[in-house]
Amino acid sequence: MYDVAIIGGGVVGCAIARELSRYQLDVVLVEKCAEVGFGTTKTNSGIIHAGHHSPPDTLKGRLAVRGNQLFDALRQELSFGFRRIGELVVAQRPEDLPVLDGLKEQGRKKGVPGLEIWDRERLHREEPNLSMELLAALHAPTAGVINPYEFAFALIEHAVDNGVKLVVDAPVEKLDVAPDGITVHTPKGSFPARFVVNCAGVFADEIAGMAGLEEFHIHPRKGEEYMLDKRLQGLVRRLIFPVPSPKTKGTLIIPTFDGTIMVGPTAEDTQDRFDLSTTDAGAGKVFDFVRRICPAISPRDTIAEFAGLRAVSDTNDFIIGPTKVKGFINVAGIQSPGLTASPAIAEYVRDILKDEGLALDEKADFRRHVPCAPRFSAADLDQRERLVAENPLFARVVCRCELVTEAEVQDAIDRGARTLDGIKFRSRAGMGRCQGGFCASRCMTLLAERGGVPFHAITKRGGGSWIVAEMINEQHPRQGESEDESC
Amino acid sequence: MPDTDKFVCIGCPVGCPLELEHEGDRIIEVAGNDCRRGEKYAKQEFTDPRRGLSTTVAIAGAVWRRLPVKTTGQVPKHRVLEAARAIHQIRCRAPVEVGQVLLEGLLGERGLDVIATRSMEKVEDLGASPGAA
Amino acid sequence: MLGRAEGRYDVVVVGGGPAGMGAALGARDSGAERVLILDREPEIGGILLQCIHSGFGLHYFREELTGPEYAERFLAKAIDQDIDLLTDSYVSGVTVDSSGRKAVRVMNEQRGILTLETRSVVLAMGCRERTRGAIRIPGTRPSGVLTAGFAQKLVNMMGYLPGKRIAILGSGDIGLIMARRLILEGCEVVGVFEIMPHSNGLTRNVVQCLDDFGVPLHLSTTVVNIDGRDRVERITVAPVGEDMAPIMERAWDVDCDTLLISIGLIPENELSRKLGIQLDEVNTGGPWVSSTMETSMPGMFACGNVVHVHDVADFVTREALLAGQFAGEWAQGIRRPIDNINLVPGDNLRYCVPHSLSPGREHTVYMRCREPMAKCKLRVGDLREKKLRYVFPAEMISLKIRPDLLDRFHGDTLRVDLVPRG
Repeated sequence: MYDVAIIGGGVVGCAIARELSRYQLDVVLVEKCAEVGFGTTKTNSGIIHAGHHSPPDTLKGRLAVRGNQLFDALRQELSFGFRRIGELVVAQRPEDLPVLDGLKEQGRKKGVPGLEIWDRERLHREEPNLSMELLAALHAPTAGVINPYEFAFALIEHAVDNGVKLVVDAPVEKLDVAPDGITVHTPKGSFPARFVVNCAGVFADEIAGMAGLEEFHIHPRKGEEYMLDKRLQGLVRRLIFPVPSPKTKGTLIIPTFDGTIMVGPTAEDTQDRFDLSTTDAGAGKVFDFVRRICPAISPRDTIAEFAGLRAVSDTNDFIIGPTKVKGFINVAGIQSPGLTASPAIAEYVRDILKDEGLALDEKADFRRHVPCAPRFSAADLDQRERLVAENPLFARVVCRCELVTEAEVQDAIDRGARTLDGIKFRSRAGMGRCQGGFCASRCMTLLAERGGVPFHAITKRGGGSWIVAEMINEQHPRQGESEDESC
Repeated sequence: MPDTDKFVCIGCPVGCPLELEHEGDRIIEVAGNDCRRGEKYAKQEFTDPRRGLSTTVAIAGAVWRRLPVKTTGQVPKHRVLEAARAIHQIRCRAPVEVGQVLLEGLLGERGLDVIATRSMEKVEDLGASPGAA
Repeated sequence: MLGRAEGRYDVVVVGGGPAGMGAALGARDSGAERVLILDREPEIGGILLQCIHSGFGLHYFREELTGPEYAERFLAKAIDQDIDLLTDSYVSGVTVDSSGRKAVRVMNEQRGILTLETRSVVLAMGCRERTRGAIRIPGTRPSGVLTAGFAQKLVNMMGYLPGKRIAILGSGDIGLIMARRLILEGCEVVGVFEIMPHSNGLTRNVVQCLDDFGVPLHLSTTVVNIDGRDRVERITVAPVGEDMAPIMERAWDVDCDTLLISIGLIPENELSRKLGIQLDEVNTGGPWVSSTMETSMPGMFACGNVVHVHDVADFVTREALLAGQFAGEWAQGIRRPIDNINLVPGDNLRYCVPHSLSPGREHTVYMRCREPMAKCKLRVGDLREKKLRYVFPAEMISLKIRPDLLDRFHGDTLRVDLVPRG
């Protein structure tokens, strides 16, 4: 019997796993995809919000501010990339100006530090590539950027290092509720647990339904994002937001942690929980909008596009708490600012579990730091030479576009990557302008040699996403076939 | 009544549209060609259309899993897929020299052989080879 | 597989494809003693190694060879000429000191990060393929969407098929050749879709690769959606109007499990950008080069697909031999006079390479037209005219300019136009 079973390995599930790994507990996390973070998390914009956008009387609003504060310490412990680059909410029309004032006041009430309104001159000085027509902006210096998938991997590796069991490719098929606990049934095994934490994102209502609960509904909201060529790096230095609408924070210009600029997301309500398509209409909306704010951005600079689904609940707020099923805790409806709030959500859930009767005894041997995955491209010459001296495979380049070395790809495999996307999201190999054209074959070869996945069985991201088919007479030789003839 | 068959010449990048007038099997005239090659091509294409064939065969013990090969002459057009299937039965082992004959008499045609189009050395440690699987 | 690289060089060539090999040989021919070719792949040969089809060497060797055969001929020459070869090696940068000596920073597993000193450098990094992202095809992101060149490597070198039921976007030669290749391996090719009203590849390839096998070529058609959750399940295609916009009312679905993208090549100039050399971003996408194939940085030369995308390897060789010759001369202290004539593409020409000329020497100028044109002529200023039967963008035009021709020219800008003969 496990103490806690976490359903869903998005950033929230991973953060909870990592938090619980501090205590003497048996914890299991089941994830339906081939890797953690392969649902909404990897499509997330990667923004650590300052916290002034969400109202103080909401759970998401409160947890966002707390979450933001926790990120510096987390970065030290888990060594993922995080940088506070600051954020600007820009006013395009005179009626936007009072909205900026309102946001600033809301932020002040919540304790968001450093909020300041910049006038047109200051804005142009600080961000010369933004449109000259912008009137003013609200600057929030504590906003930052991360790679959300890198964060999820760091969290789960830390959790697993401290004893949490991770089971991937394990969609939950059934929940059996009993007086002493709940059994979570997956194709990879059944896991009885005293407590079940439902972090199933877009499918959280379906999972709750399996426990006999019908308290909320998830209404997926799709967002399309467009990655731009690295040559635009530095075009804007901060996150650029428009004045928000009730439904969404709007279409943004996001200088991601690795420097690539990303624009989006759109916000489109959908019934289809599997709709991850990008559309012409979406692209049109995004580029029409951002070009008014930053005219130098052109759709021709796109190198990749993708879409994700936000798990919006009917209350439009987080739904975190115990239910009438003993031991079943919901952590649902985590939409923006969910990524920012995730460490605070983990604390919050830990406290709920404690209140529900879970004894929290700290581990004496808790390992606080995870040795981080080295990033050759970010290292200076001295650091690079040291890396190479330790491991010559740091001098063997696999991905030319992002300068990712074979040592890093091997490290990704050693950390658990068994799919091409698993390598990509851990090491960045394949994320550049050639989108894996040159490096995919080498990554696959390494996955076959080091990860033990036969070449033809390698997938892009698990499930049915096979990459190659075998040639007709290349199928694996039958037993007893004679050795190859020499010619 | 004479018939007209149409071809596009593949002798050079221009690609002249050719018309071959014939009475049954008897060629009357070729028109549309800007040069001699076109006339020759149209006649060949009418009487005995052929194609060159290049593909790969399995090779063991080399840096890659496939060895590129080609036919030394042209294969009858309607038997190209059959020829490819026959060639794909060949299995090789490194080392191989460019030009080395891997199969003689493809499709039973004397003089129509399959040769390697590159050399491949023997690689001792297959674990280090880029194409290993 | 790594090779040898020691001491100081006269000429270092970045890239070991047909351009790199040609440049190295040209450098040796010019008298340069120490020449090195660097390549990031395990073997010298570049893209030729996966181009297993025929069509190479018709000009240079007067024989019809396959890509690997062509590569091996040059590799043999390079070895014969004592050119050093270093493979599995990645050039991360080049620095230049005040005397013009260059330091090439290379990384490989055996030697780590090393710096090789040289007098001159030839950039021959080739090109990469345009990807799905470049044209932003809407839809999902399943596996099974890949560029034709990547599929070519998978099939011809690694021994795997990209799929079983394949659609191809783009009728350039790479797409056409892959159509045939995949059929020979037992796959089904459901169609080639081309947005232009004419094929982008040679007619001979349309005949040999599509017509021969009954593969339909849909002109003025493009892919407007990709569908499939994990793997491609179908694509949606639509005819386009004169404005190149898809006519969605006439769109139709095509069941397939693979989409090969063959929509063009881009010179790979990451290193060139890092070096800060002047690039012709608008016309070629590659470095600005003089008639000695020298870039805007003294002693830094460039040739092959990195300068402008070629379609005949033999012409790459010819261009590369020239670049190597001048890079070798430069290394030996021989300086050619700076060009004093700018060469400018005029009517119906997208580019001219090189970008400048000098009187007193023979030049070969390479160009591409914007639109197909039959029965036209090249007009070189008012110096010369050359009649051409038929030109189209996919086939590069080359023009020899004899030494005495430019002696008659007194301006500083020479414009070449492609106009109807009429």
